[in-house]
Amino acid sequence: MFSSAGRSWLLLTGFILFYIIYLLFGALVFSSIERPVEDKLRHDMETLKQEFLNQSCVNAASLERFLLKVLTANKYGVSVLRNSSVQASSWDLASSMFFANTLVTTVGYGHNTPLSDTGKAFSIIYALIGVPFTMLVLTACVQRLMYPLVFAPVSLLQRSGMEARSATILHFILLLVLVVLLFFVAPAAVFSAVEMTWSFLDGIYFCFISLCTIGLGDFVPGTHPTQKSRPLYQVAVMVYLFVGLMMMYLLLRTFHKMADLHGLTTLLQLPRCEESDMDDETQPIVENGHANQSSPHVRGKESSKTLDSGSQPSYNTINKG
Amino acid sequence: MAAPDLLDPKSAAHNSKPRLSFSTKPVVLNTPDDDECDTRTTVMRWKTVSAIFFLVVLYLIVGATVFKALEQPHETEQKSAILEQKVIFLTMHTCVNSSELENLVKQVVSAVRAGVNPSGNVSNQTSLWDISSSFFFAGTVITTIGFGNISPHTEGGRIFCIIYALLGIPLFGFLLAGVGDQLGTIFGKGIAKVEKMIVKWKVSQTKIRVFSTLLFILFGCLIFVALPAVIFKHIEGWSTLESIYFVVITLTTIGFGDFVAGEKAGSETPDYLDYYKPVVWFWILVGLAYFAAVLSMIGDWFRVISKKTKEEVGEFRAHAAEWTANVSAEFKETRRRLSVDIYDKFQRAASIKRKLSSELGINTSINQEMTPGKRTLSANLCEDREAYTSLTLSLSPVSGGLARNGSLYLNGLSPDYADRREIAIIENLK
Repeated sequence: MFSSAGRSWLLLTGFILFYIIYLLFGALVFSSIERPVEDKLRHDMETLKQEFLNQSCVNAASLERFLLKVLTANKYGVSVLRNSSVQASSWDLASSMFFANTLVTTVGYGHNTPLSDTGKAFSIIYALIGVPFTMLVLTACVQRLMYPLVFAPVSLLQRSGMEARSATILHFILLLVLVVLLFFVAPAAVFSAVEMTWSFLDGIYFCFISLCTIGLGDFVPGTHPTQKSRPLYQVAVMVYLFVGLMMMYLLLRTFHKMADLHGLTTLLQLPRCEESDMDDETQPIVENGHANQSSPHVRGKESSKTLDSGSQPSYNTINKG
Repeated sequence: MAAPDLLDPKSAAHNSKPRLSFSTKPVVLNTPDDDECDTRTTVMRWKTVSAIFFLVVLYLIVGATVFKALEQPHETEQKSAILEQKVIFLTMHTCVNSSELENLVKQVVSAVRAGVNPSGNVSNQTSLWDISSSFFFAGTVITTIGFGNISPHTEGGRIFCIIYALLGIPLFGFLLAGVGDQLGTIFGKGIAKVEKMIVKWKVSQTKIRVFSTLLFILFGCLIFVALPAVIFKHIEGWSTLESIYFVVITLTTIGFGDFVAGEKAGSETPDYLDYYKPVVWFWILVGLAYFAAVLSMIGDWFRVISKKTKEEVGEFRAHAAEWTANVSAEFKETRRRLSVDIYDKFQRAASIKRKLSSELGINTSINQEMTPGKRTLSANLCEDREAYTSLTLSLSPVSGGLARNGSLYLNGLSPDYADRREIAIIENLK
C-alpha cells in the first residue's frame, strides 16, 4: 500500500515519537527519584553556611567570593584542600594519556578538562582525527575476533546437531553472560576493593557508564589523592576500557548478525550488517549461506542512492555504545 | 607472422589474460578475487590490524605528551592562585581557623559534585532535576554523550540509569540510523543534481566525487557547527573557541561537561529557556547523525587509503608481470625472426657454395685442409633444418652481438679458425 519511501518516513516518525516518549518517561522517573535528595542537600548547605557565618567574623559577601573561586578551581580539578603540593598533578604523563584515551574513545569523563585555549583547540583537532581512527581499530579488531569467538562456536554447535537459529541464540546468550561476568562483575569487585569510597554497586555503575561511553564522570578511578601506584592503575584502567569497548562492539555486531538472520533488520528497514569494510566477505553467521539473502527491497533502496558512495553514511562504524 | 598482438603493447592490454581487478571507484564494492586471495588477505589483515593498533597507541602517547606540555603549567598556576586566595582569606578573617575552612570547603565541593551550587541565594535557583533538565539528562545518557554536570546520586537513581541506558542506547542507535539515512538521501539528491550539472563540463569522475564530498563537509559544518557555535556564543556568553569546542565535544559524544548549553540558571528570561533546551536537543540529534556520517567517511578514507595502497601495489605487480611477459614475448619473436633470417641467409650461402664448388671443382683438396672452423662451417652449411634450432639456441646469449658480426661467431667460433675465403663469402652475404 505505501511506497517504500513513504514507509521509511512513517517508521522514522514512529521512532522519533517513541524516542520522545521514552525520554519523557526517563525524565519523570529521574526527577521523582533525585529531587528530594537534592533539596535536602541544598538545605544542608544553607545551614552549614549559616553556622559558619554565625561563629566567625566572615561576612557573607567575602565568603561567597571565596567559595566561587574555590568552585571554579575545583571545576578544573584543582583542589584547595590540605597540602596541595602532596597532591599528584592531574596532567602528568599517565593522567594525560588517560585523558587522551577518554577523548579518543568518546567516553569523556570530564574530571579534568583542558584549561588553556591551546589545549581546547588541540583537543578539537585531536578528537576529530582520533575518534574515527579508534573506531576503525575497534571495528578491525572485532572483525578478527568474530572468527574465534562467534563463527567457530556457532558452527561447532551446528555440527553437534542444533538447528541454525537456536544455535545462534544460545551462543549469544552464553557470550552475553560471559561478557557480563568478565567485564562488569569482576572489574566492579576489583574497583570496590581498590577504591576506598566505592561500593560494589558503584563499581558496576562505573563499569556500565564507561563501557557504554556515556562517561558521566561522577566516578573516575585513580583520582583519589592518596591512590598508590597511580600511573600503573590508570594504564590498567585504560586497557580495561579498550578491551571492554571491543567486547561491547563484538556483542553488538553478533546481535546485529543474529537479527539479520532472524529477519529483524529487513522488517524494521534498518541497514543490514554490511561487509564492505576491511575486505571482509559476506560471512554468514551460520554455515549455510541461504540465510543471508538480502531482500530485494533493501537492495533497491541501496541502488537508488547516488553514485558517490563515499559520502553516504555507513553505519558499520557508528559508535553506538 | 606469429602472435602479432604480443608486439603491440596496446592490444596486449586488451587481451583476455586474467588480471587483478582495476577499479576506478575508491571503495571496492565487489571483490571477486577474494576467494583465491583469501589466505593472503587474512595474513595482511592481521598485519594491518596490529599496525593500526600500534599507531593508535602511538597516537595516544603523542597526545598525552602534548596535553601535558600544554596543561600542566596552567594547572600549577591555578593551584598557586587558589592557595594564595586561601591564605588571604584566612589572614583577613582571623576568627576562622584553617581546619574549619577546609571542612566547609570539602562539604561545598561534594555538594557541587552532587549538583547543588551553594553560592547565591536559594530562591532564584532552579532545580537541576526539574522536568526539562531531567529530560536533557535522559537525552545525554541515551546519546552516550554523558556531560556529567548532572548525575544521579541515589542508589535507586543509579540502578535505574543503568537499565534505562541499556534499553535507550540501542533505541537511539536505530533512530540515528534512520535520521542519518534520511539525511543522506536528502543530501544525495541534491548532490546528484549538482553532479549532473558538472558532468556537462566534462570533469573526471574522481574530481566530481571529491567536490561533492567537500561540499557535503562544508555545508554540514555550516549548518551543524558554525551556526550553533554562533548561537551558543551569543546566548551562553562563551568565546568563539569555547563554542566550537563545545560543539565538537558534544557531537562526537565525548561530552566532558565543562561547558554545557543551558546550564546558566536563573539569569535568563524563562520563556527563552523553554524553547532553547528542546532546540538544543534537536540540534544534537541531527548533528550527531551528521557527525556520524563525517566520522565514518573519515574512517572510509583511512580504509580506502589502505585499500588503495594495496590495490596500487597489486596493480604495480600486475603491471610488472605484464611488462615482463610482453618483453619476453617480444624477445622470443625477435629471436625467431632473426633466426629465420639467418636460416634464409645460410640457405643462400649453401646454394652459392654449391655453385662455387661446382665451378672450382676442387672439393676434395679443400676438404683435406679443412680447419676446424671450416669443417664446422661446412657441416653447418650442408646440414638441414636441424641447424636452425641449434642456431637459435646459440643465438640467445649473444643476441646483441648478432647484428654486427654475428655470423662469424655462430658457434662461438673466433675468426682464427675460419679461412679467409669463407670469411669473404660470408661477408658478402651479409
